[in-house]
Amino acid sequence: MAEKETQKTYRMHLMICAGTGCVSNHSYEVKEALEKELRKHGLENEVVVVPTGCNGFCERGPILVVQPGNIFYQQLSVKDVPHLVEEHFLKGRPVAKLMYSPPETKQPVPVLNDIPFFNKQVLIALRNRGLIDPEKIEESIAHDGYKAMVKALSEMKPEKIIAEITLSGLRGRGGAGFPTGLKWQLVRNAMSTNGGQKYIVCNGDEGDPGAFMDRSILEADPHSVIEGMVIGAKAIGATAGFIYVRNEYPLAVERLSIALKQARDYGLLGQDILGTGFDFDIQIKRGAGAFVCGEETALIASIEGRLGEPRPRPPYPAQSGLWGKPTCINNVETWANVPTIINRGAKWYAGIGTKTSKGTKVFSLVGKINNTGLVEVPMGITLREIIYDIGGGIPGGKAFKAVQTGGPSGGCIPKEKIDLPIDYESLSEAGSMMGSGGMVIMDEDTCMVDVARYFLTFTQDESCGKCTPCREGTKAMLEILTKITEGKGTPEDLTLLEDLAPAIKDTALCGLGKTAPNPVLTTLRYFRNEYETHIQNKKCPAHVCRPLNVYTIDPGLCLSQGHGCDVCRRNCSSEAIAGQKNEAHAIFQDKCIKCGVCYDVCAFGAVKVD
Amino acid sequence: MVNLTIDGKQVEVDEGSTILQAAKKAGARVPTLCFHPVIEPYAACRVCVVEVAFRGKNDLLTSCNTKAEEGMDVRTASERALRARRLNVEMLLARAPAAEPLREIAKELGIEKTRFPVKDPDEKCILCGLCVRACEQIVGACAISFIERGTDRHVSTPFGEESEACIGCTACAHFCPTGAITVEDKYGRKVIHDEMYLGPTTAIRVPTRQAVPMVPFIDKEACIHFKTGECKVCAKVCDRDAVNHEMEDTIQEIEAGSIIIASGFKTFDARRIPAYGYGRFPNIITAMEFERLVNASGPTGGKVLLANGEEPKAVGIIHCVGSRDENYHAYCSRVCCMYSLKFAHLLGEKTKATIYDFYIDMRCFGKGYEEFYHRLLKEGTKFVRGRVSEITTLALTEKEEGKLIIRVEDTLLGAVRRIAVDMAILAVGMEPSIDHNRLAKTFNISCSQDTFFLERHPKLAPVSSFSDGIFLAGTCQGPKDIPDTVAQAGAAAAEALALADLGKVELEPITAVIDDKLCSGCQICVGLCPFTAITYKKDEGHSEINDALCKGCGTCVAACPSGASYQKHFRDEQIFAEIEGIFLI
Repeated sequence: MAEKETQKTYRMHLMICAGTGCVSNHSYEVKEALEKELRKHGLENEVVVVPTGCNGFCERGPILVVQPGNIFYQQLSVKDVPHLVEEHFLKGRPVAKLMYSPPETKQPVPVLNDIPFFNKQVLIALRNRGLIDPEKIEESIAHDGYKAMVKALSEMKPEKIIAEITLSGLRGRGGAGFPTGLKWQLVRNAMSTNGGQKYIVCNGDEGDPGAFMDRSILEADPHSVIEGMVIGAKAIGATAGFIYVRNEYPLAVERLSIALKQARDYGLLGQDILGTGFDFDIQIKRGAGAFVCGEETALIASIEGRLGEPRPRPPYPAQSGLWGKPTCINNVETWANVPTIINRGAKWYAGIGTKTSKGTKVFSLVGKINNTGLVEVPMGITLREIIYDIGGGIPGGKAFKAVQTGGPSGGCIPKEKIDLPIDYESLSEAGSMMGSGGMVIMDEDTCMVDVARYFLTFTQDESCGKCTPCREGTKAMLEILTKITEGKGTPEDLTLLEDLAPAIKDTALCGLGKTAPNPVLTTLRYFRNEYETHIQNKKCPAHVCRPLNVYTIDPGLCLSQGHGCDVCRRNCSSEAIAGQKNEAHAIFQDKCIKCGVCYDVCAFGAVKVD
Repeated sequence: MVNLTIDGKQVEVDEGSTILQAAKKAGARVPTLCFHPVIEPYAACRVCVVEVAFRGKNDLLTSCNTKAEEGMDVRTASERALRARRLNVEMLLARAPAAEPLREIAKELGIEKTRFPVKDPDEKCILCGLCVRACEQIVGACAISFIERGTDRHVSTPFGEESEACIGCTACAHFCPTGAITVEDKYGRKVIHDEMYLGPTTAIRVPTRQAVPMVPFIDKEACIHFKTGECKVCAKVCDRDAVNHEMEDTIQEIEAGSIIIASGFKTFDARRIPAYGYGRFPNIITAMEFERLVNASGPTGGKVLLANGEEPKAVGIIHCVGSRDENYHAYCSRVCCMYSLKFAHLLGEKTKATIYDFYIDMRCFGKGYEEFYHRLLKEGTKFVRGRVSEITTLALTEKEEGKLIIRVEDTLLGAVRRIAVDMAILAVGMEPSIDHNRLAKTFNISCSQDTFFLERHPKLAPVSSFSDGIFLAGTCQGPKDIPDTVAQAGAAAAEALALADLGKVELEPITAVIDDKLCSGCQICVGLCPFTAITYKKDEGHSEINDALCKGCGTCVAACPSGASYQKHFRDEQIFAEIEGIFLI
C-alpha cells in the first residue's frame, strides 16, 4: 500500500504544516477541508495534501506550502479553502490575500524563500522541515535519509566517523557545548565491564519554557535523529539506544514510535542492519516532565527507574552512565546534525560558523517579536540580524530592550550588545549561555526585575532539592526578588542577592543550580539601576510591578476627551474611583488595589500610571 | 600514591582517596553534614566545598566525593570557599534551626543568626539523605526515599503510608546526624515522626522484656541478611563481635543416665466452647491474654483497655473454662481459681470496673489462698456461684446494648441471671502439651485417664515413671501450680542425683530371656513389650532382651508362639516341677 502511494505521481503537492502549533490552530481540519474540496473538483488524483513537520514560522500558522513553486500560504482557515482550491489549484492563480505580507511593505510575498524570516536561515538540523511527511520513511529516504548511515556502516571505520565529527567542530546543542567528537572518543575509549556494553542516549527532555526545537525536529524529521544515533552507535560501539522524550510531547512520541517501527521494518534498525553485521536498536523512554531530568545524570537515573535527580560528576556518563556502563548522551539537535556532516563532509560543516562554534543553531524566537517561530541560523550571526531581519523587529514600534537566551537559566543581554555574534563563547562572556536555544525578546515595557523573578519562579519550582544552594538558594533569591517587586525591598536585600547569586553558581551540584542565578546576575550586571529604582524610589520604571504603581486620573483629559465616560468607575472592583458621567473622575489611593484595570479600559489616556 | 598540597602542606595519600581524606591527613578541618564514612558520598549539602587549583582551573569542589589527584593545590579555608560554605550553612540554618551538628558548624564559621526567614524553629531535618542512603545501601530495604522536590522535599515512605519494605531496623535513625528521625516502640512497631509507621518488628530483638535468658536473637524471617545476603549492619556495629550469621539450628545427641520430663502444659482452646464467643466477639479474652494486657511491657503498657481503647466499666471472670466439664475435661485444673482471684484483685487496682467472678466451687487449697479469697470478698468483687451457660451480644434491654451479656444460673439465688459486662476473661484450664503423645511413646510412659503422664505410684513414687531413670516433673504429670511444680521438680532432681551418686543401677532379678536357638524372629514380642526392652536383631535373625530395661512382666513369655522366651526362675520346667512337688505331698 505504502509503496503504491509513493509511486503515484501528482502534479502538485500541498505541504500542510502538522507541527504542534499548527495542529492546535486546526491544520488537520484545513487538511480535511482541502481534501474534500479537491475531491469536489475532481483533483484528488492530481493534487495531494501532505502533512509535514513544523515549518518554524509558527506565528503564522496554519501554514501551507505549495510545491512546486514554494508558494507560501499562511493563517489558513477552513473557510479560505474553497476559494484557494478553485483559484490556485484548479485555475492556477495563486491567492495573494492568503500570502505573507511583511509589516513594513505590506506587499504579499508569494515564494517562501523570499520571505525575510526564511531567507537568512541555513537549514541543517531542520533540513527536511516542511518537505516530508514525517510518518513516511520513504519520504525521508527520498530526501537522503539514511544515506549517511549506509556510508558510515559500510565504508567507514569507527575511528573515521569520530575523526569526521571532531573535524566538523560540532558541539553539543543541549547547551553546554561540549565537543561531540571528543565525547564520542571518550565513550569509545571507556572500558566497559561485562560484555563491553555501551549505550547511546538521545536527550529529548526539552524543558525550557519557550523552547521547542527538539520537539520540532522529532515531529518534523524523526528519522534524522534515528540515523544520527545509529552512526553514533557505530562510532562508539553501542548496541542499544534510548530516546528520552517528555510525555508532554505526545505528537513527538507518536511520530518517533512510527519512525522506529518503520526503520525496523526496513531493516535500518535491529539485528544485522543492512547486512553489515551491526546490531543496534532504540527504545523510547518517556519522561514525566521534570526539568532537572534534562541534566544527564538525572536523565540516566530517570531511565534506570530511579528518582530523577543528578549525582556528582565525575564519574561522567562517558565512563559510568546507564547501569554503570559508558554512555554517550547527546541532544536531539546534535544527533540531527550528524547525518549531514557525514554526508557533506566535516570541511563543509566547519566552513559554517565562527572559529570556536561551527555549523548552525536552532533558536526559538519568542516574546515581543513580530515573527515568533523556530529559526536555524549559522553560528556567528548577530543578535540584530536575528531580531530585526529574521524576527521582523519589535511589534507596535516599541524599542528593543533585552534578549534572554538559554532558557530559564540563561541570562539577559541588553540592547547595547545587539551586535553580539552568537556563539558559545560570546554568549557566556555576556553572562548568558547558548542553552538549548530559547530566545525571549523583551521590549521597553518589560521590567527586568520582574523578568528575573519570573525565571527564578521556574527554576525554584523545578529544583530537585538535592543540594543546598539550589534548593534553598533559589527560593531565597525568589523571595528577595518578590519582595523587591512588591516594593518591600531594602538595600540589604540587594547585598544579600549579590552574595547569594555567585555562591549558588559556585557551589550548586548540577547545571540547573549552577545556572539558575544567571537571570539575576545578568540583570544585576546590565540593569542594576532598575533594581535600585525599585528599592529606593519604590517605582517600577516599566510599570510592570503593579504594587509599585500609582494610578491617577488627569481630570482635564477625563472631562475634555472622555466627557467623564464612567467606564473606569464601573470596572473598578474595589470601588476606588469616584465620579459620574460628564464629571471628572478621581481615584482614592487608599482604596486602590493597583489592579490596573482602569488604566487598561480608559480609551482616552486619562488614567496615568506613575 | 598521590601527592597534593592542602593549605600549603604537602600530603601523600593512597590512590582513590578523596580530598576530604587528604585534608584530614593534613590536619585541616573541613566540616561535613551529608557525609558518612560507610556510605557513598552524596555531595548534597555543599558544606565541605574547598577551593582547588588544578590543571589551570580554579574551582570550588566538594571534598567528600572529589578524588585527590596528583598536583592539586587545595585550599580548605580560602575566602571563596569560606564565603560559599558560610552561605550554605546559613541557608540550611533557616531550614533546620534545631539541627545540633549544623549549629555547631555555624558557630565554628562565626554565624550567629541566619539572614534567611526561618519557617519552623523546631525543624531538625537537613535533607542530607543519610537515612535514605543507609536504607538503600546498607540495609537494602529501600523503604524510605525523598518525595516532592525543591523546598518541599522530605523523607517519607511510599505514599506516606506504613511501608511493607521496612524491616524496622532503625538504621535510618542511627545514621541521622541531627536526630530528626526518632524511633519509638509503640504498640510493637517502630514509629518514625508522628504517623509514619514502620514495619511490625525488628529483626533483632529480645523475645519479651522479661525473657530468660535476657539476650537478643535474630529473627530469620525478618532479617534482611537472610533475604538478600546484604546488610550485616549488626555485625559491623557490634564491637564485641557477638553477632554470628552462620549459626544454624542443630540436633544434639546427649548421653544421659537419667531423664527428667518436664514438658509442661498448654491452655485449653476456648474456641472449643462456641457458647462463650471467644474469637467471635471482641473483648472476650483468655487468661493468658489478660496477663499480657496487664503486663507493664505489654501492648498498652499495662493499662486494661477494651478494643476501642476505652476502659471497661464491668468485667466478668469465668472460671472452669474447659475444666470440670464432662464435655471437655472432667478434671480440675487447680490453678484457675487462684489466678482468677489475682485478676479480680488487679482489675480492682487498675480500673474502676465492677468485677464479677463466676465460679462453681472456690478451690483455695494452698497456704494463704483462702485468706486471699476473703480479701477479695472484702474488696467488693461480686462472686456468682454457677456455671456460665453463654456469652452473647444479643441485647434484650437498652442497658445491654453494645455489651457482652453473660447468662448464668446463680445457684445461690436459684435464678438465671443476665449480667452485662464490657470484658469477659475466660479462665482456661490446663491440657497436656502439644507433643505429649509423642513423648509418651518415645519414653514409653503410661498416661492416666486424664491423659497426663502416669506416675509409678501416687503416694510412694510420685515423681518416677515405670522406667528406671525417667522421672516426671510439673504439669506433664497433672495440673498443678508453681509451688507444687517446683517441689516436684526438686524431688525429681534429687532422685536423678541419687542414681548418679550411686554409680550403678539395680536390675530386676527376674527378667525374661530369649533362647536364640528357638526364636524364629517373628517379632510378636517386640511390639508387645511395654518397656521397649526387646529389639529384633536383623543380622542374626532373632530378638533379644535388654536386661536393664526388662521389668520381668512376662508378657513376651506368654505370647511367644515357639516358647523361645522364658522368665528367669520361672521357666516352664521349674513351675511344672513345683506343681509336681505339690502333688507329691
